[in-house]
Amino acid sequence: MASESTPRINAKYLDSFTNQTVRILGKVVSLRGETATIDANGSINLHLNRDAHLSLNNAVEIVGKVQPDLSIKVLQATDFGSNIDFNAVEAVVDATHRYKEIFYESND
Amino acid sequence: MDYGGGYSTTSYGAQGGAGGGGFMGGSQSGSQGAAGKGTYGKDTLRPVTIKQVLDAQQPHPDADFKIDEVEITQISFVGQIRNISTQTTNITYKLDDGTGTVEVKLWVDADEMNSMDTSEGTVSKPKLVENEWARVWGRLKAFNNRRHVGAHVIRPITDKMDITYHLLEATYVHLYFTKGFLNSIKQEGGTANGNQEVGYGGGGADTSMNGRSMPNVSQNARTVYKVLRESPQNNEGLHVQNIASRASMNVNEVLKAGDELLSHSMIFTTVDDNTWAILEF
Repeated sequence: MASESTPRINAKYLDSFTNQTVRILGKVVSLRGETATIDANGSINLHLNRDAHLSLNNAVEIVGKVQPDLSIKVLQATDFGSNIDFNAVEAVVDATHRYKEIFYESND
Repeated sequence: MDYGGGYSTTSYGAQGGAGGGGFMGGSQSGSQGAAGKGTYGKDTLRPVTIKQVLDAQQPHPDADFKIDEVEITQISFVGQIRNISTQTTNITYKLDDGTGTVEVKLWVDADEMNSMDTSEGTVSKPKLVENEWARVWGRLKAFNNRRHVGAHVIRPITDKMDITYHLLEATYVHLYFTKGFLNSIKQEGGTANGNQEVGYGGGGADTSMNGRSMPNVSQNARTVYKVLRESPQNNEGLHVQNIASRASMNVNEVLKAGDELLSHSMIFTTVDDNTWAILEF
């Protein structure tokens, strides 16, 4: 089924997903105009687009493309508020790759 | 006298006819049940990912869809709204949960629309807007080879943790149907001590059958195997009737499950064809 999926990952998985569109839920730790840093089991640099509105210390869900330098080009950012249990979020990332048959099509 | 007699005969005949009709009706509903239709009694509401919806198998047109070899009726999932298109008879939402994208149709009830128009000021219905998340309860439909979900309800997600919980729940149910019971995982795993761990860390489930990996068998077969493994018995094993009562299954189901287990050499017959014991090696 050629359906475009955006696998949920965190900093640990970045290098196996270069040039792919992924979904990352992390906490905004710094904002510098066009770029930002989030923490998702490790820090990740973001290149923001114009309509991405991030709030410092809030959780944000990013859909974006992993660049060769392991930064993310943001396609879409959705604010997830301040009430996120990151242990559960990590469990989802873990389940995504452990039981990928229900989450994404993989080449291997 | 003649008139009365004729009358009573007619009425007698009519009664006979009515009785026959009633019997016919009964036999019809019986055959429907046997054909596996009329699933009202075993309706389920299963949490799924959109990828599971897209991958669902349909054995033949008009048959129920299956996920992990189990028929689905109602399903529930979450998704980010990519597109909303309002038509005269329905509103079509395109939902993306990160695992895939599916169309969801909510049929517009004309009466409800009218009543909503009049009371719009008082009822503040939560709004579904593009790029926000929503939860859907509905049924999977196929129309001209295109799949969509006929929604009963679509609601915006207000607590974003619902998304995370839903994905874990979908994983848990998927593992339940593919790898078997929580209990067997716990017992064989030994160290597994909480629901949380089993929820996604059930990697040990493969080895839940005395160190052998569990072949791909039905849920009923797993149940029967579990009963055989855990019930006190001598070397003759257990009789089908006995298994049926312990597992609260009917005898036919047990026999079917037994055939599966026999074909995988997981059990063997002892004193007669309907008495089984676990085959250990």
